[in-house]
Amino acid sequence: MTPALELHGVKKAFGKAEIIRGLTLDIGMGERHAIIGPNGAGKSTLFNLITGRFAPTGGRIQLKGQNLAGKAPFEINRMGLSRSFQITNIFPKMTVFENVRCSLLWSMGYRYNFWSMVGRSRALTEGAEAVLEQINLTARRDLPAGVLSYAEQRALEIGITIAGGADVIMLDEPTAGMSHSETDYIVELIRTVTENKTLVMVEHDMGVVFGLADRISVLVYGEIIATGAPEDVRADPRVQEAYLGAALEDH
Amino acid sequence: MTETDQITTDPTKPAQRMRAGSMTIPLLPWIVAAALLMVLPFIFTANSAITIMNQMAITIIFALAYNMLLGQGGMLSFGHAVYAGVGGFACVHIMNMDDFFAAIPLPVLPIFGGLMGMGLATIVGSFSTRKAGTVFAMISLGVGELIAACSVIIVAFFGGEEGISGDRTYGLPTFGVEFLQQIEVYYLIALWLMISAALMYLYSRTPLGRMANAVRDNPERAEFLGYSARWVRFYSFVASGFFAGIAGALFAINYEILTEENLNTTQSGIILLVTFLGGVGFFFGPIIGAIVFTLVQTVLSLQTELWGFYLGIIFVLTVMFFPGGLAGLIMMHAGPLKTGKLGRLVLPYVKTLGSGLVGCLGAAALIEMIFHARHASTGDHEMTLYWTTFDSHTVLPWVIAALATGLGFHIARSTAPALAAAWHDANTPEGGRTA
Repeated sequence: MTPALELHGVKKAFGKAEIIRGLTLDIGMGERHAIIGPNGAGKSTLFNLITGRFAPTGGRIQLKGQNLAGKAPFEINRMGLSRSFQITNIFPKMTVFENVRCSLLWSMGYRYNFWSMVGRSRALTEGAEAVLEQINLTARRDLPAGVLSYAEQRALEIGITIAGGADVIMLDEPTAGMSHSETDYIVELIRTVTENKTLVMVEHDMGVVFGLADRISVLVYGEIIATGAPEDVRADPRVQEAYLGAALEDH
Repeated sequence: MTETDQITTDPTKPAQRMRAGSMTIPLLPWIVAAALLMVLPFIFTANSAITIMNQMAITIIFALAYNMLLGQGGMLSFGHAVYAGVGGFACVHIMNMDDFFAAIPLPVLPIFGGLMGMGLATIVGSFSTRKAGTVFAMISLGVGELIAACSVIIVAFFGGEEGISGDRTYGLPTFGVEFLQQIEVYYLIALWLMISAALMYLYSRTPLGRMANAVRDNPERAEFLGYSARWVRFYSFVASGFFAGIAGALFAINYEILTEENLNTTQSGIILLVTFLGGVGFFFGPIIGAIVFTLVQTVLSLQTELWGFYLGIIFVLTVMFFPGGLAGLIMMHAGPLKTGKLGRLVLPYVKTLGSGLVGCLGAAALIEMIFHARHASTGDHEMTLYWTTFDSHTVLPWVIAALATGLGFHIARSTAPALAAAWHDANTPEGGRTA
């Protein structure tokens, strides 16, 4: 079976600074994969390379067997990959409902349509309402997204990310800056909305990582030093040395 | 119509009521507007009034088209008069093609203007919409200057400095109407105003129109939702060019002459000013802006040579204190209206704004007197201000004006806290406690 994501010898340098140094990784269909690593290891850069925000300086990235070289973010999105951002990235002036509706437009085939009214499409309205139900924001439907609480905005961000029906979901630190109860809520949310989908996430909270992920990759200085099931990664001496030691003792 | 496009009418669904707002388009304002356009010439019958209303309607269409860029799409253009101007020039040329023009009725002529504006916008937009922000603004300015410069280079199309003129009455008569009268032109423009405004409003409700807002607010997010920000901007730009072209065509029909002044950067600046003054955040903002601007331009300019100066001050104050424009000011009162406390604002408004108005009139009088004292020909000491004729070289008028200014602004300032308190009160729902 073709892996959902295939990275082969991927490199990225900004000027002389090499951030990603020849990275090879396969993520299978339907897998929940977490990428962990210390600050500055290149996790977010890796995300930006996969989603087309940056172009790699070397190597090859394939999504479901198709090469992503030279593809713009919107083209990669149309191929079935969707992402969230570390810093909340929504449409703050639009209502919560409209945020979700906008994220449904392309996948529902509206494309650059300028002859039908969005308000008249039952499928669009019901689809958006179903997503709102899923992310538990129905009560906030008509508020501008910018006035939501931080946790609600994060939930909306995840809603926007999954609404389009992409089968590869990439979440960049979905629980960053959240309290314990908020984290539990978001983890449950992620678990349900990524059912039967491929999930790639960057996360710092080891509780979240070990609770959600089927496999874990450890990224240190632009290289993956270990990949495997949570238990194997936890036991790997190189990982303990490089990064996990202190964090693991807490769990 | 596909199955998904049908309006839901199932009354058993509880979500129906909540959804109704986004499903239906409020018809009432449109009916009122249409009725108003019908009866206005019967209220303001003077020829000069018809002229002003024609000018107003054309400016409204142009400002609404401009707001498709600025308000809806977040693109600041410094050269949008070009698309209206070129549409207008094309229409004058059609008027001068005797055989062709004789075969088409005048009311469809604006379509040609629109297509011309759209064609030019397609060419320019293909490279100018790649980036938003400063890059877009600079390209729009450059293209605006370039085409304005062309008007003295490509004389065959732009007619050089004197421009080109035509005669609208040579077209195919429409139901016996030959558009000899100003009033006939008024109804033609009014019809196009309703059509254009309705189409532009509906556009904002389409998937592309919604995504124009999304790209304006967060282009990067839109890209990760499958939309190319660049193409969304491009389509808005082309649509805006079309409606600008229609405005230009109506200008051509109304005035039967186009010159370089119709497409230069001054004109582009004016439409930016009109749109911003009215308010970019609401669909009806540019309409208010166009009405106010045209009134200032036509009525105030008869009263004083300095109207541009006052307009400049109003514009600067709007940008600094009311970035939502006049429409934003109006919509600020939706809250008090809902809580039923709008009435509580009347008295504080009269106190503060009334005295502020006295102050403004006093200040304007001072400016006018200085201007008169400095610029009137020697020995001409007599001037007329607020229907009063007096000698600008005597002390009394200066004292009165200075007193009015000082007192007016002083009272306005001292009553301002009361107004602020009343405003706060009016925006607090009944029973709500505030600190």
